[in-house]
Amino acid sequence: MIAIVNYGSGNIQAIGNIFKRSNIDFFVAEAPEQLEQATKLILPGVGAFDKTMQQLIDSGLKEKLDDLVLHRKVPVLGICVGMQILGKDSEEGQLNGLGWIDGHVKKIDVSKFTHKPHVPHMGWNSVKPLHQHPLMEGIDLNQGFYFLHTYFFSCNKKENILCTTEYGNEFASGVYSNNVYGMQFHPEKSHSNGIQLLENFAKL
Amino acid sequence: MKERAYQVCTNCVMDTTDSKIIFDEKGVCDHCNDYYKNILPNWHSDQRGRDELEKIVKKIKKEGQGKDFDCIMGMSGGIDSSYLTYWAKELGLRPLVFHVDAGWNSQQAVNNIEVLVDKLGLDLYTEVIDWEEMKDLQLAFFKAGVPHIDTPQDHAFFATMYKFAHKHNIKYILTGANYSTECIRNPIEWMYYQSDLTQLKDIHRKFGKKPLKNFPMTSILKHKVYLRYIKGIRVVTPLNYVPYNKEEAMQLLVDKFGWQRYPQKHFESRFTKFYEGYWLPKKFGYDTRKVQYSSLILTNQMTRENAVKNLASPAYNEETIAQDFEYISTKLGISTKELQSYFDAPNKSYRDYKTQESVYKVGARIMRALGLVRGGKR
Amino acid sequence: MLRPRIIPCLLVHKKGLVKTINFKNPKYVGDPINAVKIFNEKEVDELIVLDMDATVDGREPDFTMIKNLAAECRMPLCYGGGVKSVDHAKKIINLGAEKVAISSAAIENPSLVAAIAEAVGKQSVIAVLDVKKKGLFGKYEVFIHNGTKATGKDPREFAIELERQGVGEIVINSIDQDGVMKGFDLKLTELIREAVNVPITTLGGAGSLADLKHIIDKFGIIGVAAGSLFVFKGIYKAVLINYPKREEINTMLK
Repeated sequence: MIAIVNYGSGNIQAIGNIFKRSNIDFFVAEAPEQLEQATKLILPGVGAFDKTMQQLIDSGLKEKLDDLVLHRKVPVLGICVGMQILGKDSEEGQLNGLGWIDGHVKKIDVSKFTHKPHVPHMGWNSVKPLHQHPLMEGIDLNQGFYFLHTYFFSCNKKENILCTTEYGNEFASGVYSNNVYGMQFHPEKSHSNGIQLLENFAKL
Repeated sequence: MKERAYQVCTNCVMDTTDSKIIFDEKGVCDHCNDYYKNILPNWHSDQRGRDELEKIVKKIKKEGQGKDFDCIMGMSGGIDSSYLTYWAKELGLRPLVFHVDAGWNSQQAVNNIEVLVDKLGLDLYTEVIDWEEMKDLQLAFFKAGVPHIDTPQDHAFFATMYKFAHKHNIKYILTGANYSTECIRNPIEWMYYQSDLTQLKDIHRKFGKKPLKNFPMTSILKHKVYLRYIKGIRVVTPLNYVPYNKEEAMQLLVDKFGWQRYPQKHFESRFTKFYEGYWLPKKFGYDTRKVQYSSLILTNQMTRENAVKNLASPAYNEETIAQDFEYISTKLGISTKELQSYFDAPNKSYRDYKTQESVYKVGARIMRALGLVRGGKR
Repeated sequence: MLRPRIIPCLLVHKKGLVKTINFKNPKYVGDPINAVKIFNEKEVDELIVLDMDATVDGREPDFTMIKNLAAECRMPLCYGGGVKSVDHAKKIINLGAEKVAISSAAIENPSLVAAIAEAVGKQSVIAVLDVKKKGLFGKYEVFIHNGTKATGKDPREFAIELERQGVGEIVINSIDQDGVMKGFDLKLTELIREAVNVPITTLGGAGSLADLKHIIDKFGIIGVAAGSLFVFKGIYKAVLINYPKREEINTMLK
């Protein structure tokens, strides 16, 4: 069963509703012990990097997640700030990230923007996969997904980039490494594309 | 009372879930026989029908000269009213297209009204029913335990239509009623007369909490007698005078207007979808598909074999029914547990509450004797 | 490429949806839940729902309604009306909305924006500015309490202040153009666009898709919001939920 990790951040309701309507079994986990039965994990996230990491540490979830993801290779999908914490650290905060994917989170560089607005990157934007991947099957790439963020994930290795999006510069809107996946956009708020992606993840 | 043995018509698929059904010695039911005897001989959708229709249309146009509209038309977004809209324009009429929003429109319904109105260059009026009153009245019907819980929507539609025609002094109402897909009607036991104001008021009095201040109301005497004979408002059913093959009609609308199909008749309303697909068959054993398929069988648009095959699976989508149940509960402002309790409560019938049924019986007899109506509910 | 956002804006009054003209004479439009469900099925970019009574009546946001509406949205939902505290904002976000809008609270307590931004994230805090032209020279002024109370604040200056406080987005709502369906207030939109770097959304006056296109052509990446346009049809203002189809939007964006 898919576990949506509740560490006080992210639109758990919306993700749950999608799984419910797609008849995909899931449960919401708050405590580390609850994660024992998880066959897949979702890390939602809205808000600040440090706050999110602190919540994970305080709740004892971080340790459990490290074990499940790094040792037991449970597939995990991080969304928005839940994707950013997959990296080593962030310009937004002081704390270290989970470090599951080799990269750093940086602020979107608006210095060369000739247009307004600047940040946050807000609205529907297209995605460009670097190569075929089951997670992106059936996605209308041009329609894309809904983005709402000020920081972005900068991968150290190109092979960790699943798809890119253009906003001023081209940045990694989707990242992956073995069983770890991260999406900068909000699939739970991206209509049919989002539903498709979450269903694809459930099928992996 | 002795339980009747199950029997299904050999010609259509109506069966003893219609407790008043009568079979002849060949096992053919009275719905079929009534159709063959009374409806079919007088139903002309060929040139005869077209000529007859043109006569009526000419009259409508003449009487409508100088007015903004020459007739009024109810539009739900469903196949019948959509095809009717197309035909009204083809015939050169100038209808006021009218939609009653009872709070349950599906996206397809709204889309279909929009594409037709836009592409045919027609004007639209809507009457939005006060949702708080509608909600309360619908809940009252659930609590009453009767099968005809879609009465509030239907009643509101008719009341508003007549009120509107009356207000704008329009003498002709076009409806999408048709023999092609409705020559067999739902038994009264399944769907009691929605226009019976006595019944509506009694159920509201017993189970409703909010006074009906804005809710539009009409009565059978008012609209079939007063408005018809005294104010001279006539109802015209154009789809009975032209060839109407449901599948072809839908394809035409899809191709010409970007019309969106529905999975089943009446699914333009989310409530009606739930009501006919789940509540009525599961709680009462009344499956309206039998009525619809039987009509299509009689008009050669469906084989009895196909009908039987379809009826073998449930009328609702098993994968989405839980969500539908939840949506209905949420919209009605109750818990799924409460809605379930109404489902589990004993089944009642219209006879458990006050009615004006005698008026209908007398009226129907008179109308049939005068040849003013063929077939109809029983 | 990032696309401009086309946003239906719904007004709630006494539990039902209404449309106003110049913030007056609410006309009943129907049940909020079904309207939101239809917009969701039409795959709108995002949705704004504003409760016009909450502040004036002195009550809290209707959390049950917010929960029911959020459950129907597979796109971002912004809710506003009666939001006065960080707790309100957190609760609304937890019920499934993406964004929280504050209006009079931002005027009465400017640091609230920063406080809410701290709690739920900057990008989730929206400020709605209801603006009316006043006086002989038609100077713009921010109003609150459904356009009944003048604040003496200049929208441009206030927008700059809000950006400083950490607001994620500013919605400029023209009271003069509200419900009139004759086009947006371009001058007002320009005024705010030029003043701040955060995303802005313009609301009030849209009467046709051409009005939306006009704004998009002029401002590029912007939110264009409309009430009447997506809820009425035709010269008799028949209530009919509508939204441009994907192909129509793509044509508009060319």
